[in-house]
Amino acid sequence: MGLILRFQLRQSISLTISEPGESTSSEHHPNSNSFLRGLQVALVESDDLNRSVTRRLLEKLGCSVTPLSSGYECLSAIGPATSSFQVVLLDLQLPDLDGFEVAARIRKFRSRSWPLILAMTSSSAAEEDDLWEKCMQMGLNGVIRKPILLQGIANELRRVVLQANRVV
Amino acid sequence: FQGYLDHEQFNQLEELQDDANPNFVEEVVTLYYRDSARLVHSIEQALEKSPIDFNKLDSYMHQFRGSSSSIGAKKVKAECSLFREYCRAGNGEGCMRTFQQVKKEYTALRKKLETFFQLARQAGPVDRARRPK
Repeated sequence: MGLILRFQLRQSISLTISEPGESTSSEHHPNSNSFLRGLQVALVESDDLNRSVTRRLLEKLGCSVTPLSSGYECLSAIGPATSSFQVVLLDLQLPDLDGFEVAARIRKFRSRSWPLILAMTSSSAAEEDDLWEKCMQMGLNGVIRKPILLQGIANELRRVVLQANRVV
Repeated sequence: FQGYLDHEQFNQLEELQDDANPNFVEEVVTLYYRDSARLVHSIEQALEKSPIDFNKLDSYMHQFRGSSSSIGAKKVKAECSLFREYCRAGNGEGCMRTFQQVKKEYTALRKKLETFFQLARQAGPVDRARRPK
């Protein structure tokens, strides 16, 4: 158990608060989002438009984004133990594989808690409680609702990253 | 644009445009035209079949609603939601009626967007930051 914890420590995302003067694209919240800078994100989204927009949002937050457009593409990219993704943003409504299936395989072949997986979904508010529970059961770490707005994605990423660091 | 676009969503697209991505808004909107034209065509074909495959229709409309929502096309999105309700109820006539509305809103939106880009091109980069009425 101790060994696993140490492994997670090495992989944990270091939180750095940037200087106020530092140039950043997030002018409105210069300090609150800067710790996301350099975060290695795999973005799995089949819709071209949504992928394009979400990618720009993540880049604006300073993340390093790898766009993927299908479940199989995602598994090929994330499968190898050497892949360096810290976070996976996963569209639940993928055309080839069910999003939960993809998440389950990542959890099985990588680890119970790494990389961090956030679901992206356009479910209505009514379906949300069940969805949240199912996500937690499947080992996902967070949920982002579509359509995606900058502050929404930043908040959920921050929450999930901080939680991961706290556990360790 | 009043009423046609969710300003928060569309403004976000404008904010994502910068020196490194100078045509981002236009690129995204072009993607939208391409995807939506394809989906409208697919939906039309699916509505002509007998019996209607409501699952397929719902799936197409889910995609259309999703991308419309990402660019802030709120009227189109609203009609899409209505369409999906008819789909789930298996109401073919309701679907066809609502689809006419979807197309109407979509066409109106495209016209507004085209005007927006024409004005933006004429005004030049300095005025791009300002939003049209």
